[in-house]
Amino acid sequence: MIAILVLVLRFALAIALYAFLGWILFTVWQELKQEGQILSAQKKPGIQIRARLENGKEIHHQFLQTDVTIGRDPNCDFPVIDEAISAHHARISYHHTQWWLEDLSSTNGTQMGNTQVSVPTVLISGDEFKCGNTIFSVRVEVVVE
Amino acid sequence: MNKLTQSRLLQFAAAFLFLQTLLITLSPAVRLRTGDVEYRFSQWLALFFWGLSVARAHYDITRKLPDADPYLFPAAAFISGWGLLTIWRLDPNFGLRQMVWFVISCTVLIAGTRLATIDFLHRYKYILLTSGLLLTTLTLLFGTNPSGNGPRLWLGCCDFYLQPSEPLKLLLVGFLAAYLADKLPSRLRTIHILYPTVILSGIVILLLVVQRDLGTASIFTALYTIIIYLATGRRRILLVALFLLAFVSIGGYYFVGIVHARVNSWLNPWNDPSGSSYQIVQSLIAIANGGVFGRGPGLGSPGFVPVAISDFIYAAIAEETGLLGTLGLLALMGLIVVRGLRAALRAPDLFRRILAAGISAYFGVQTILIVGGNLRLLPLTGVTLPFVSYGGSSLLTSFLALLVLLNISNHLDVDPAPLPKPQPYLIVSAFLALGLFAAALTNGWWSVIRDADLLTRSDNPRRVIEERFVPRGLLLDSSNTIINTNHGDIGSYSRDYRYVDLAPVTGYIDPIYGQAGLEDSLDEYLRGTKGNPASTLLWSNLLYGMNPKGLDVRLSLDLYLQNRADEMMIGHSGAVVLLNAKSGEIIVMASHPTFNPNHLIESGTKLLTDPQKPLINRATLGQYPLGSILKPFERAIKGNKSNNVNLTDIYNIFGLNQPPQIQLPVSPITAKDPKTIFHVSPLQIALASAALSNHGVIPAPRIAMAVNTPAEGWISLSALGKPIEAVQASAADEAASFYVVENQSYWQAISQIQEETSAYTWFIAGSPPNWQATPLVIVVILEENNVRLAERLGHELLVDAMHP
Repeated sequence: MIAILVLVLRFALAIALYAFLGWILFTVWQELKQEGQILSAQKKPGIQIRARLENGKEIHHQFLQTDVTIGRDPNCDFPVIDEAISAHHARISYHHTQWWLEDLSSTNGTQMGNTQVSVPTVLISGDEFKCGNTIFSVRVEVVVE
Repeated sequence: MNKLTQSRLLQFAAAFLFLQTLLITLSPAVRLRTGDVEYRFSQWLALFFWGLSVARAHYDITRKLPDADPYLFPAAAFISGWGLLTIWRLDPNFGLRQMVWFVISCTVLIAGTRLATIDFLHRYKYILLTSGLLLTTLTLLFGTNPSGNGPRLWLGCCDFYLQPSEPLKLLLVGFLAAYLADKLPSRLRTIHILYPTVILSGIVILLLVVQRDLGTASIFTALYTIIIYLATGRRRILLVALFLLAFVSIGGYYFVGIVHARVNSWLNPWNDPSGSSYQIVQSLIAIANGGVFGRGPGLGSPGFVPVAISDFIYAAIAEETGLLGTLGLLALMGLIVVRGLRAALRAPDLFRRILAAGISAYFGVQTILIVGGNLRLLPLTGVTLPFVSYGGSSLLTSFLALLVLLNISNHLDVDPAPLPKPQPYLIVSAFLALGLFAAALTNGWWSVIRDADLLTRSDNPRRVIEERFVPRGLLLDSSNTIINTNHGDIGSYSRDYRYVDLAPVTGYIDPIYGQAGLEDSLDEYLRGTKGNPASTLLWSNLLYGMNPKGLDVRLSLDLYLQNRADEMMIGHSGAVVLLNAKSGEIIVMASHPTFNPNHLIESGTKLLTDPQKPLINRATLGQYPLGSILKPFERAIKGNKSNNVNLTDIYNIFGLNQPPQIQLPVSPITAKDPKTIFHVSPLQIALASAALSNHGVIPAPRIAMAVNTPAEGWISLSALGKPIEAVQASAADEAASFYVVENQSYWQAISQIQEETSAYTWFIAGSPPNWQATPLVIVVILEENNVRLAERLGHELLVDAMHP
């Protein structure tokens, strides 16, 4: 009789061991789920970019992605026909809860106000910058969490 | 969140250890199969102190290191408690010491949680390493070994010993991390950065080699390689290390005795299972005995493996908790390694990153090395299983390493340091995971696939244990009189040989001298492994780890006639076989001189060397010259014609050229020596004679008649061989009638042989062809010239048997 009790306890022993390991799997899975939810809950704010060409013509685009390249190359996210703009001229990207402007080693450079953009620079709504002979202005949409 | 996870995991660990403690308490009742036993209670003390220390450490960790990894401490506490209880179960004295060390280690951990930072390790790296080296060097001068002999790797006195090479591992990892974190960003050439560490590590490894602590030396080498590889990311370092490893192991194999012995016993453990590879073979047997489910805590016999509390604790755990338990143990070890490496990747600076990775590698490498050694995956190195094995220095070092990992993992708010090359971390973690996985697979191989081969080995001491706990089947004569039985109680059963003179035939079973005779050939029935239903076997093995009660076997022997033969043979050497000529049943089989198997312990060695060879069953194994005893057989072949018959023909026709098929050891027909090529055993002559009394047919001999199975009662065992028609019935009848003696109711033949140093007398006789009752034959061989005795013995026995 006691042997059967011991057998049952031995099964319980194995269950306790695997409950420990199972609980680890469970918490790791939960953590994963939580991280996924946090990431998907992070709203990416859209950005509106308006370009005023030398000839006064205006084009504007609305973007939902977090990475926008500007250049003469038609494969760019925001292609601009301007002889003074390089094929891949500048990048606007969203990270660390900010939009950043970055010059992609263009020939004529990117200017913001009176300064050359040599390191990634934070963009806020209403900022203007100049690539070649084109002036860009951005409007960042406000994220409501 | 962390706190909740950690406390829930600790609850599961506590539940496991509580059940283990309870099972150890109950184990004596299962062993002796009665509730009226002395239960084991002392290990509850260990559980109590484990709970106390762990609860306090949990409280302090969640308070002082709130963001520390929540898996590291529960996993470490789990396996160290598991180890502690296993050690206690094996030896409460060592268990008590380990408990004290566990409390000390936890106290150090609790004190350590108050440290806000571990930067002092970085700053005082040279001082720490030098003191570690100094302590290790001191062991060269003042080293002792607490167990008396063996390598002197400990420092200390008065029952308190420290093995400096254990903390030295941690110190070396710390030093390398600090040094590399300082120098690597300086953009010097790698070789300039590395050569001071090469020299330093070389000194450490040399020191360990001088101390013959090869296990620790190999761990150092592996750790050094891994740390340098992680820090520099050069794959060339791995290649150089592999090359060096091959070079050193080949060199060591040929020039260093201990390496040679270790590698040999690893490659060929089966050549010397009682000598150099005793440990590893016993370890594998223990693992095989565990099987998948294990024998249960307190119910295995892991004490048979040498140093089960430290080097072979993995084998002990495998035996008692089975593959299920060891897979869990390996998973827990893997968890610690993985969480350590995760802490390394998320570490805020290079020093902490290399340190955490080095410590994880230390846990991983040491586990793989010793578990692999236990499983014959790797050569055996006497290192400890971190957290689990007995040893204060090892436990304390493991807890210090754990403390460092906890401290490093407690930096979630700081961004991790930049990682130029993630690949080395991937490769190292894959390598460690592969090692643990290989260990799990090998464990499965031994405990599931090769278990039967290992468990039936004669050097498995568990078989002897089982003999003491499970009653062996009885050996009975044809009228169910007991020949061999058991005496003693459960736990102390031993074989009781009631009819001593049959010893050469029925044999014996003995822990030292093994088993022989019918006790050996009918072992499967007597042990209960054969004849019991599979479900009974499975259930009994699951509950008790032993086979069910053995089955009784009825023999064809008749103790009354046997006794008459034995009485007349007293003082003479030779053999007697009385056979039922029709059925082949052996009614009497006597071999003299005989011995008393009840006194095997005292007289065993003398019996083995006795020139009279009393252990040999002369009736089946004796090889005697024939003289003229073949006359009746010759007549049965040629009738009354006068032409000569070739001796070889007689052999072939009467089956003397092949061994009888019977559940007894018989001498094989391999004699190439022309002097003995025609020698035969008394049983062979008895079977040939049976053809004369049985109308030319040689019966198949039988001695084991029936077995008493629990399901169907007595089941008869069929003969192993088949009857052979040797000569025509008329020819056999004619020859038998020709040799019938005047005034007697049987045929007979006598032969005397006188050789240079020895003399033999044969007497064969049998019932006549017209005998209406059971036909019988008798063969007497005496190793002396004594026709009178042979004739009297044969006559009395045969007449008694013919006229019961």
